[in-house]
Amino acid sequence: MATQTLSRPEQDRSVEQTLQQLRKLYADAPEFAKAALDSALPALMAQAAESRTSQSESAGRIGIRLGRVSELTVIAPFAPGGARRLRAILRLLHGNFSAGTKVGTLHNMRFVFLDNDTKFLFATAYDGQWDPYIEDFATKMPDEMDIIFSAFEGWPGIRSPKVKNWIVEHQVSAEGWYVAHPDLTVAETGRLKRIGEAVDEFLDKVGT
Amino acid sequence: MATQMLTKPQPDQNVESKIQQFRELFADAPELGKKALENALNELRSQASDLPPPVESAGRVGARLGKVSELTIIVPLAPGGAKRLRAFLRLLGGNLSQGADKVGTLHTMRFVFFDNDTRLLFATAFDGDWDAYIDDFVAKIPDYLDVIDSAWEGWPGIRSPGAKDYLVKHQITAEGWYVAYPDLTVAEIKRLQRMGKAVDEFLDKVGS
Repeated sequence: MATQTLSRPEQDRSVEQTLQQLRKLYADAPEFAKAALDSALPALMAQAAESRTSQSESAGRIGIRLGRVSELTVIAPFAPGGARRLRAILRLLHGNFSAGTKVGTLHNMRFVFLDNDTKFLFATAYDGQWDPYIEDFATKMPDEMDIIFSAFEGWPGIRSPKVKNWIVEHQVSAEGWYVAHPDLTVAETGRLKRIGEAVDEFLDKVGT
Repeated sequence: MATQMLTKPQPDQNVESKIQQFRELFADAPELGKKALENALNELRSQASDLPPPVESAGRVGARLGKVSELTIIVPLAPGGAKRLRAFLRLLGGNLSQGADKVGTLHTMRFVFFDNDTRLLFATAFDGDWDAYIDDFVAKIPDYLDVIDSAWEGWPGIRSPGAKDYLVKHQITAEGWYVAYPDLTVAEIKRLQRMGKAVDEFLDKVGS
């Protein structure tokens, strides 16, 4: 993971201050949490100093990004009948929304029903910036998008000029984001997979 | 992408009956949803005979596709919890690599505050089964967990025998789940990354 260090007397001071604040905030936390904080502090202090150079950034209009991988988290109310339709679609597909492959920049995607089927959570991990990502969805799987998102209140249609505003309005930026391999896009992982297969084949042939 | 074919009896009948079910479902959908469905049906007709593998259970709770599972937890925040947790995440620059890398089976993880800081979404993509994954968290980063989870209403502490029940109670299994490379674990991607570097070096040397 990107953990370069800089010379940073000032940063150390501000880390010290932040840790001080954190201790104060945890003054009214349960005992086990205070103990955990104390025990995690040395590592925290080191990371806090480093995180100046490896912190999450903006994914564009909304959402955050670590390295090349961004998060999108949308929570929206269902339209009448929307929950029933969407659940039935997902069940027909056995829960595997494999159309996601068409987008090409999508690492993972989940559909979760909340609050007695009145709200919906749609969360993805994807490559790069928000605007091109939404455009990818719009150009590569417009029908799938409308089939799914027409389950939500006020969805203007993927071809509508208002669609990006609708998404921004319902998206909530994460405050914390972790990616195991922030330098790997979906395409790059695909390339590595092919290399791995080629190497295995090569070694097989060389070995015989 | 993994689209192995399993032996499926009567594919055509299966597809037609699914298409019929889709149409019935969309009888009360908005016009743009109906139109999108008709557009997508032709494609479905060609794809449904090659249905992707179904999503399976990740164990006690959650969905899994191939080797990669999802965990989606929504909890009410304890008094003062949002403030503490936000300060903690900001201290880390929103980047949780320091702790999360240690787990070794974690692909992505996000923390999202919503409903005016009264609730938190904690969502991860991880390798394998639920119980083993939670055990990994407990064994490898217990203090981080308690620092974070003590912001959650009613969290009993990671060392409490009630911790797993608490998590199960607040976890909601996704109805839909997509993973770009369902056959690649975090460890496997790491191996491919090393292999890719070695191949690049090798080709450099051979080429010069």
